[in-house]
Amino acid sequence: MRLRTRVVALCVGLLASHQAAAAELPQRWVSAGGAVSEWVSALGGEAKLVGVDTTSQHPESLKALPSIGYQRQLSAEGILSLRPQILVGTEEMGPPPVLSQIRNAGVQVELFSAQPDVAALQGNLQHLGQLLGAEDQASQALKVYQQQLDQQKVRITEAQLKQKAPGVLLLIGNAGGKPLIAGKDTAADWLLQRAGGHNLATHTGYKPFSNESLASLNPEVLVFADRALTGDAARAALFKENPILSSTRAAKDGRVLELDPTLLVGGLGPRLPEALKKLSDGFYPGATGQ
Amino acid sequence: MTTLVKPRTLFISLSLLCVLAIWLSLALGPVSLPLIDTLRAALRLIGLPIAPDGLEQAELILGQIRLPRTLLGLAVGGVLALSGVAMQGLFRNPLADPGLVGVSSGAALGAAIAIVGGSAFGGLPESFGPYLLSICAFLGGLGVTALVYRLGRRNGQTNVATMLLAGIALTALAGSAVGLFTYLADDATLRTLTFWNLGSLNGASYSRLWPLLLVTAGVALWLPRRAKALNALLLGESEAGHLGINVEGLKRELVFCTALGVGAAVAAAGMIGFVGLVVPHLVRLLAGPDHRVLLPASVLAGASLLLFADLVARLALAPAELPIGIVTAFIGAPFFLFLLIRRPA
Amino acid sequence: MLRTENLSIRRGNQTVLVGITLELKPGEVLGVLGPNGAGKSTLLGALCGQLPPDEGHVWLDDQALRRCAGAQRAQRLAVLPQVSTLDFAFRVEEVVGMGRLPYQSGRVRDAEIVAAALGAADAGHLSGRSYLALSGGERQRVHLARVLAQLWPGEAGQTLLLDEPTSMLDPLHQHTTLQAVREFADRGAAVLVILHDLNLAARYCDRLLLLEGGRPVALDTPQQVLRPEPLKAVFGLEVLVQMHPERGHPLIIAR
Repeated sequence: MRLRTRVVALCVGLLASHQAAAAELPQRWVSAGGAVSEWVSALGGEAKLVGVDTTSQHPESLKALPSIGYQRQLSAEGILSLRPQILVGTEEMGPPPVLSQIRNAGVQVELFSAQPDVAALQGNLQHLGQLLGAEDQASQALKVYQQQLDQQKVRITEAQLKQKAPGVLLLIGNAGGKPLIAGKDTAADWLLQRAGGHNLATHTGYKPFSNESLASLNPEVLVFADRALTGDAARAALFKENPILSSTRAAKDGRVLELDPTLLVGGLGPRLPEALKKLSDGFYPGATGQ
Repeated sequence: MTTLVKPRTLFISLSLLCVLAIWLSLALGPVSLPLIDTLRAALRLIGLPIAPDGLEQAELILGQIRLPRTLLGLAVGGVLALSGVAMQGLFRNPLADPGLVGVSSGAALGAAIAIVGGSAFGGLPESFGPYLLSICAFLGGLGVTALVYRLGRRNGQTNVATMLLAGIALTALAGSAVGLFTYLADDATLRTLTFWNLGSLNGASYSRLWPLLLVTAGVALWLPRRAKALNALLLGESEAGHLGINVEGLKRELVFCTALGVGAAVAAAGMIGFVGLVVPHLVRLLAGPDHRVLLPASVLAGASLLLFADLVARLALAPAELPIGIVTAFIGAPFFLFLLIRRPA
Repeated sequence: MLRTENLSIRRGNQTVLVGITLELKPGEVLGVLGPNGAGKSTLLGALCGQLPPDEGHVWLDDQALRRCAGAQRAQRLAVLPQVSTLDFAFRVEEVVGMGRLPYQSGRVRDAEIVAAALGAADAGHLSGRSYLALSGGERQRVHLARVLAQLWPGEAGQTLLLDEPTSMLDPLHQHTTLQAVREFADRGAAVLVILHDLNLAARYCDRLLLLEGGRPVALDTPQQVLRPEPLKAVFGLEVLVQMHPERGHPLIIAR
């Protein structure tokens, strides 16, 4: 009898402490940075989100949440009015004085790495998992992600036995105008490489190119991401604003692929493996096999 | 036309307006604080012995976020309006704007150099990074203005028309230099650079506020003493000289005060336009061009206008924030057009 | 007293003014006449210190004009330019009131002087109106009132320089203006006035300086200067000179 009471007491105690531990986890979340918000949702924390920034557009349901504006121009009082317990985002969040003001108000501010590499992602997921009380889900998600990336690698290796890596350029534009070309050290570059493409741009960061350079590089495949338009409208706008692109091999062969620009914000996000597959299918048509 | 507002009426109304603006700026915001809490927290801030229970949030919001922001708005609005008056007096043209002497673009250039230079050394130091940025912006504004002034001088005489052209040219040059920095910058630097061009009272803190408050107080105390001389300057430079005014000295003072004031304002809050153009106009429409009234009234009006604009910036899209430059342009541009249409032939 | 000796001014390669020796005596109205481009405005510019002479000097009392500056000089020397570029809606009294800038006479006294100066310029009825709402002639009279206020009431030791103060005025006001200037001189001030109208010059000036191509052709009383031969030589105009039936000064009639 006494043993059973003790066991019951122990179980109740453990349960209570677990609840208490859970209660210590932040319940009201504000998130800035597309990929960070996506991971929060992927790890089951969407219900805890009370506000997101303008780059957090996936899943669709996030768009219904109050918007805290552009992640680099946050308003301290605006965020505090949502009564959050934690603000998560990448190093791209700012301005710094506002972050200090939010910290001083007693809100936990966690900055995640926006570096486009798997090691950073691992760190991010572990940390997020802890904050959400979803460590298991986090490690599971990471395992799956790693598997998907490994599969992708295999796919690419096989494809490259039959085909050479195509020369690629990735353009980010706004309604087709003033496109920036993705160079080294960008999330876009990471994507292109993992998808088995050879990024013809050798500069660092996102920079505009002259028409001559674009034409002389003559990529075999063009990947474009447009902030304002999607689908055929975006494609049409791209060629209308930059007629020189029509002279490239990619345009003539019809190898122009679209990419969702929100994939490039906030580090590696959960939708990347899917996007990678789509890209590599486009890079190695018929070789990767559906 | 000659039914002007009496100075006393004007000052009383503007002072009341300013007090209202300050109060609204402290009492309203995305976080809705009960009025009584705001009052009690405000009284506590001044030092009155009020019990602090339940006031933590109010004190934080009020003391750390809204109060420095309000002070920043007062100072920036006031000094920009004063600089507008100074420039309209210098160029003897009611359509002049402080940016004409290149101070805003110079400040932006100074800030860009600090940011890009800082990143070359591995990022701006945490401790005095913000100060360094503000100092560079301020020096940049002063530097470009000094250059404009120098270019306008020949044989000991400052040619205002030449200054105007030099200002336009140097503004374009500074702008392209900033553009070059933007192009060469890596992403981290780019982030900080683009903050600068969107004027905002966001993130105001006491430490960054003091230099600007000092400058604003200095300019606001100095210029009104030259009010009569400024009036005479409007007659024409030689006429003013014949009335015994040291015209070259006065022009130098006006350029310096503008460079100082606008440089400090841009260093603290980024580029905010139209205040220097719109406010002196409004006051002139109400109370005439006499600088003895125009100068102090413009300070009050400019401060109030900016605080109201900031209110819109903070509340219109809460919890996000509109850049205040957009709000002032929204008010300023139509007003400017209205003035042009209404201007007597 | 304002005087100059052997004044010469060049603009680039051209000599605009040469060999001017002049003394503005207290109580005297000196008129400056000459065709366009003769150097009249240049002379005025040099006399008020705006144009530095290439040769010769300008003295105000015992000092070089250059050394005299600020409120001190403004209390002794006032200049009325030909055109005004004031583009702001001051009230008439405020514009005239600017003439009191070199003084610390106090608001009440300033207001009295402003009213008196406006009266002398026959612009008293314009008080209270906006400067921008006035006609060209009315504005000219307001500026005259301003310079009168600057030297009010006018006494020996003060000099008034006027550049074509009647150019935009109707006949009545041409006379009232010059009459006010005459009264100023009668109180002791020295006056130099550039005029185009030969008859006005004949009536109101004590001496006349006739300029041509920058050189002084004659400096004497109106009777001596306004004769058919010099006028034909300088202006290229054939004239008859008669005597004014009531006042006795020369009356120039174009033939």
